[in-house]
Amino acid sequence: MWCIKTSEKEKLLTALKGAYDFRDVSSSDLPPKKLFFPEREITFTHLVKDGSVTTPPPPRKFVLYGLSLRDLEAITCLDEIMSAPEKDYYYFRRRRRALLIGVTGEAFDVPPGGDIIISSIDADTSKLLSVTEKGERAIKKHLPRLKKSKSPQAVPVKNDTMPDLRNLLMDAELLKVAVEWSWHGYKKLWEKLSRECLGCGICTYVCPLCHCFAAEDSVALSGDEAVRCRRWDACTLPVFARLGGGEDMHPGLRERYYNWFYHKFVRGYLEFGRSECVACGRCQRDCPARIDIEAVLLDIVSAYSKSAQRRRRYR
Amino acid sequence: MTKRLTIAIYDFTDCEGCEVVLSTLKENLLALEDRFDIVNWRLAQDACKDGPYDVTIIEGTPVTGDEIALLKELREKSGAIVALGACASIAGIPGIMDKGEREKWYKKIYGPEYKPIGVDSLPLAAYVRVEHMIHGCPVNAGELVRTIEELASGKKPKYRDYSVCFDCKEAGNTCRLLNDKICFGPITQGGCKAVCISGGSPCYGCFGLREDANIDGLVRILRWASSPKEIRGHLKIFFNHIPEYKDAFESALKRGRTKRP
Repeated sequence: MWCIKTSEKEKLLTALKGAYDFRDVSSSDLPPKKLFFPEREITFTHLVKDGSVTTPPPPRKFVLYGLSLRDLEAITCLDEIMSAPEKDYYYFRRRRRALLIGVTGEAFDVPPGGDIIISSIDADTSKLLSVTEKGERAIKKHLPRLKKSKSPQAVPVKNDTMPDLRNLLMDAELLKVAVEWSWHGYKKLWEKLSRECLGCGICTYVCPLCHCFAAEDSVALSGDEAVRCRRWDACTLPVFARLGGGEDMHPGLRERYYNWFYHKFVRGYLEFGRSECVACGRCQRDCPARIDIEAVLLDIVSAYSKSAQRRRRYR
Repeated sequence: MTKRLTIAIYDFTDCEGCEVVLSTLKENLLALEDRFDIVNWRLAQDACKDGPYDVTIIEGTPVTGDEIALLKELREKSGAIVALGACASIAGIPGIMDKGEREKWYKKIYGPEYKPIGVDSLPLAAYVRVEHMIHGCPVNAGELVRTIEELASGKKPKYRDYSVCFDCKEAGNTCRLLNDKICFGPITQGGCKAVCISGGSPCYGCFGLREDANIDGLVRILRWASSPKEIRGHLKIFFNHIPEYKDAFESALKRGRTKRP
């Protein structure tokens, strides 16, 4: 850990800007996942002429700057998702080339992810923490004369995005059980939400953890090559769960919107022992129907708890 | 390689903007010429062979009796009919016309001697079976190429199953609805690259209704900040002659305003 002045921070950033492609995502609407898992990505091109299959070259090494603690946590979680059952080639060939720099005023005990975290202490001082060896190497290379210092004291800023959901996430098991129960136990809620939800897909596009995609194949007009492209898909869209032959596993918005919650809070728990949510607040901020997703989850958990009490009483 | 398909390109009443998109496809137009025999294209070439055609691409709205008769004739001569652009697919701009008011305006603009030739302004599908519609006002070049590619490779062209919201997020736009501005993006098929919204205009829905769109849900949101008159005004641009959309909007508008959360 180092304690650095603004001038040193600027020096580091200038050096990094020279050495890498520099992406400042601190004011980006879309989540950082798009740098590893773009909206559309050509996965391979098949040439008819010689039968060859080629993949477009990966990007240059890049710095992803300005990540919040929750985005760092989301990337750590997405890394895990994209590693199972086997490593996603396209995701990791971008991910490997990225140096993640978190920027925060919040306090944290254990760094949630990233390679470097810059925490502001006061107007002129920041704490520079290398989380990984990659981060440490980058700092030593670009700020060689820096001396390690003891942890300086800072007055942490509080993150007031979705505080109640943040608390709920501590008990991923409760969320899992409650959301799963709600499908049959709280039908009224899903009926109401299916009338309000537009099924536009925005909540999945802006989610730092949603990772479903559709494959689009095309044959060039010349007939010389075929291309496969993967594009962000959304479980709230009508074709998402349709099978060949026309059978639809999610025939209405009720099933589709529930799936969004199911994947995050039920399936996420079953597969990874945690909710696939970091309470970044984007889905709520960007929902055109103004669905208060935090309130929906609080409502589900409270209705579940009441129902569980009733069940205990009559046992 | 399979046999070269014959294509004819026709136009009815419209601005010809979608044909301009087609004629400015550059290397893709050359590839198109290579794969297909364009045997009839009034706007771009001298050769105008009579049918039958494998594929007939039709731009514009059939407005006059002659156009409607030609459309029916083309149906007989064509393996597949593909509508090019909003005028052909959803009646587009000619569809804004209000039939009830037409007599009055004829007299006022053209004088009492004028003999009207316009019958109606309905999309192609109101008269004949249409195999596929390339939506847009004008069409998006990428979507146009995609459709032709799919035809050329023997596939049935697909409609976009996502909303304009995907294009809009990809373009980095702020959501209009969150700023209390009218937008039909969530209920409209994507593929347009959200050019209107990126340029500060609303989405009027020229790409046609997305499958299983929640019109009730959208009207509920629009009513928080817009009057039924404003909503109907926006609807008129492209949805005037599509009863499915109009009726769904009207019944949603009848439900009145809900409380904003």
